[in-house]
Amino acid sequence: MSLALPSALAFALIALPIIVFYILKVRLRQVPVSTNMFWKQIFDEKPPRSIWQKFRHLLSLLAQLLLLALMVFALADPYFSWQALKARRIVLVVDNSASMKATDISPTRFEAAIDRAIELTDGLRFRDEMAIVLAGSRPDVVLGMSGHVPTLKEAIRSIEVSDNPTQLDSAIDLGKQLIGDHPNGEVVVLTDGCAKTTLALEDSAKPGDAAIETPSEDTSAENEIAKTNAELSGVLPPGEETQSDNQDIKISWQVFATSASNVGITQFQVRRSLIDMLGYEVLASVKNASDQPVNCRLEISLAGSIVDVLPLELKPGELWSRSLEKTSRDGGILAATLTEIVSANEEQDAEKENGKEADEAAKSDELNELNALTVDDNAWAILPEQKVQNVLIVTEGNLFLRKVFEANPLVNVTTVVEFPETWPKDTLIVLHRLVPKILPPGDVFVVDPIEDCDQWTIGDMIENPIVTEIDTKSDLMTHVRLDNVVLPEARSIEFKNKPKILAGTISEEAVYTQIQRTGGKCLLLSVDLDQSDLAFRTTFPIMVTNALNWFVESSGDLRESSATGSLVSWSPNAEELKGKSLILQAPDESESTIATFQATGPQSQSANDTLTLGPFEASGVWALGQQGPQTSMKASDKPPIELITNFAVNIASERETDLRPTESMLESSTETTSLSGWFGKPVWYYVILSAAVLFVVEWLLHQRRVLS
Amino acid sequence: MLFPPDFLTRLEYLSILSKRVFRGQLLAQRRTVQMGSGIEFSDHREYSPGDDFRYLDWNIYARHGDLLLKRFQEEQDLHVYLMLDCSKSMGFGNPAKFDLARQVVAALAYIALADLDRINVMAFSDTIIDEFPLTRGKARILPLMKFLESLEVTGENTSISRGVQGLVHRSGRSGMTVVVSDLFDESGFQSGLDQLRYRRYDGHVVQLYDRKEMNPPMLGDVEMIDVETESDRKVTVTEKNIRQYKKLFQEHQSSVREYCRNYGMGCTQTPSHVPFDDLVMNMMMRAAGHAAAQTGAG
Repeated sequence: MSLALPSALAFALIALPIIVFYILKVRLRQVPVSTNMFWKQIFDEKPPRSIWQKFRHLLSLLAQLLLLALMVFALADPYFSWQALKARRIVLVVDNSASMKATDISPTRFEAAIDRAIELTDGLRFRDEMAIVLAGSRPDVVLGMSGHVPTLKEAIRSIEVSDNPTQLDSAIDLGKQLIGDHPNGEVVVLTDGCAKTTLALEDSAKPGDAAIETPSEDTSAENEIAKTNAELSGVLPPGEETQSDNQDIKISWQVFATSASNVGITQFQVRRSLIDMLGYEVLASVKNASDQPVNCRLEISLAGSIVDVLPLELKPGELWSRSLEKTSRDGGILAATLTEIVSANEEQDAEKENGKEADEAAKSDELNELNALTVDDNAWAILPEQKVQNVLIVTEGNLFLRKVFEANPLVNVTTVVEFPETWPKDTLIVLHRLVPKILPPGDVFVVDPIEDCDQWTIGDMIENPIVTEIDTKSDLMTHVRLDNVVLPEARSIEFKNKPKILAGTISEEAVYTQIQRTGGKCLLLSVDLDQSDLAFRTTFPIMVTNALNWFVESSGDLRESSATGSLVSWSPNAEELKGKSLILQAPDESESTIATFQATGPQSQSANDTLTLGPFEASGVWALGQQGPQTSMKASDKPPIELITNFAVNIASERETDLRPTESMLESSTETTSLSGWFGKPVWYYVILSAAVLFVVEWLLHQRRVLS
Repeated sequence: MLFPPDFLTRLEYLSILSKRVFRGQLLAQRRTVQMGSGIEFSDHREYSPGDDFRYLDWNIYARHGDLLLKRFQEEQDLHVYLMLDCSKSMGFGNPAKFDLARQVVAALAYIALADLDRINVMAFSDTIIDEFPLTRGKARILPLMKFLESLEVTGENTSISRGVQGLVHRSGRSGMTVVVSDLFDESGFQSGLDQLRYRRYDGHVVQLYDRKEMNPPMLGDVEMIDVETESDRKVTVTEKNIRQYKKLFQEHQSSVREYCRNYGMGCTQTPSHVPFDDLVMNMMMRAAGHAAAQTGAG
């Protein structure tokens, strides 16, 4: 046995005053009494003193000295050598993924795991340390190594279940890094066994052969992020490498799951049709993760109005997937919901035919049995709205130009021959050949200009220009091919401000140009439509459609629904949002403020003015906006946010929908040794306990004089 | 200070109060009843319901129609014997019981002297220590106070019996006897009081005790010293012992009350921290109540 604080033994000198006081106490206190007549009656009846009573004072002194010795010994903090050698480093990996919300284990898998985690903290022995790591979409260290049980419990209770997918491998790997080269390290994984993992199972089966598979690139990146976060939070020494790869770190599994049945939406996406300007396409997938056939209905609604109801008959394990084409000019939130989930077994049908319809409670029980997880019964997608554009064409007459705009159902075309007296607002002005001295404010699309204006000067004709340079990154050039278009001639244009060339010749002459100017957007196409065959090409209407979408800031591309736990890149209008504080509102209406938008901000935005948001840990529709004006009289009421855009976030994971753990995972589930209890306490605890018992005994025997 | 400057003032106040309390009863009980008839006429007073018809002045009633009662001068005054316990046990307590005892004796003596009674003070412990001879008149209060101041606690034990014997031998006739003591007489207080009864003394007991005597603040190993005998005793006092002591003390107090009640003696038990005038006032109120009860019963 060793002492952690030997200097505390100096407190043993307190024994000297105790002995002095004992000697002083032996000299009895003299008490005068007015008469002895009562005391005589009392003490003359007493029996002669026993031996125990004669030595009572000495025994009391010995008891007090022993009490002091125990207290001093406890202060010196004694410990056995095996306690130091057997101290453990435990990392609790808690799975808080969406599948942990399943109710097949009462009340939920997650709460059962939390209860077990708290039990494990109670099982910590003296000098043991424990860390807590979340196995969400990316591993997160909730609490670094600590031996303080209340702090550990508080950290465990602060964990909330999310809709994220599980990344157990990354979390386990991070846990091993936290353990480092400690000889008694152990990773305890509290999960439902629904996540894909291979390394830990092998570790569990063969603790000595901790063969860790090479993680994927994504996992490596997540590991790096988690490792950086851990280093920043101080729980992992900076620069510590993954030394645990070659170490014998025991991994214990605690699986909280049954073979529960579930039906869920695993994919839900929408996009505008490339063919039909008013149409959109919906991609939906539904998984029957059970061992029995299931009938259900998939209800799809747009902005609260049901657009389709699909009855589904799903075989055991079937993944139903279909692309649906719908038509609507309006945009909004497209929601999909699974309803009427019932078993398709013949026996149940027969019962219903016999009139034995189950009551509501029975139906609810049946629904729970077939659908243990409800968060994946809903999915959302954002359908962009198709706006009607007003187009004013100023031309002396060109049929192709007029028709290419009229062919778009979302365009109202007006054609004039001369310049109007006033330029209309909210209208795209198309100038064909005729150009005013000063370009009108607003959006302007200039085709084959023949006159100078404030933005350019017309130069010489270019004979047989060949388009070689195309800005493929621009939305304006999506699906546009100009390399095989015959252009007999074009005009050389000298711009007063440097333009952004979308298509140019080998001699760097601009053919199709995006002009940077204040007061509105401007595109310039310097091709003579009458001379070239551009108007006959398929690329011409595509080019015009791209231009229309660009003018209304709608690309018409797929606005993808994101998976929970993922990051989303968003390209806003940098000029409008510059300097404004953006607010991200979760589906439960909790708000988080994003840093003030800076066009060149290093953290929230890339060089391309792209904002990275997330990770989104809850499924639903997230709103991005800015703080609106205060409308309520109450100061406590938050002002509503002015919506900028929405993001649809779905679980969209077959693995999370399938609640059935693998057989190997269930077999590997072990009861972690949580031994401690009374024998896990430090030595000083028992010494103090002994001192307390001794104090009570001494008090009863001497001070209370039970024996006298 | 045993007798503070305002002591006489407080005594006078008590004397006046005593006359109010015992108005009309002093003569009826302590003089005429004891002396019987054959008394000298003093004056008249108005008749009150309940007065003895034999003392109505029928001549005045015949002449004037007024009912007047004749009053008579007593022929022999009352002897009041005050027995003061001077044993060492009376010096116990804070304040000492002996101080209160001397103040009470002085107060009772003053009241008696103010009523033209004769008083005699006997200081005793295991025998008669000193005596203030039989005297009368309010002017004698100052010599009495000097006498009381000169007394000290002495003697090896308390013997009420010997004190009463000394009183009986020295007094020429019986009278009212007030015993002021703690009654810690190991031979028993009853024998002394019995002698008073046998000699037809009208007895009253004033028993004093200290709070520490009733609730001794001692626990543990102590050396107990008897202040009277100065004998020591090494004992270990437990809470059980304290409970036993309290029980015995209460039994002793009860036995005093029971004795006095059985033999028609007045009894006053009081802790020593009570002011003397409050104690005397309380005694007078109870005596008046007792006398009224006896009158009503008669």
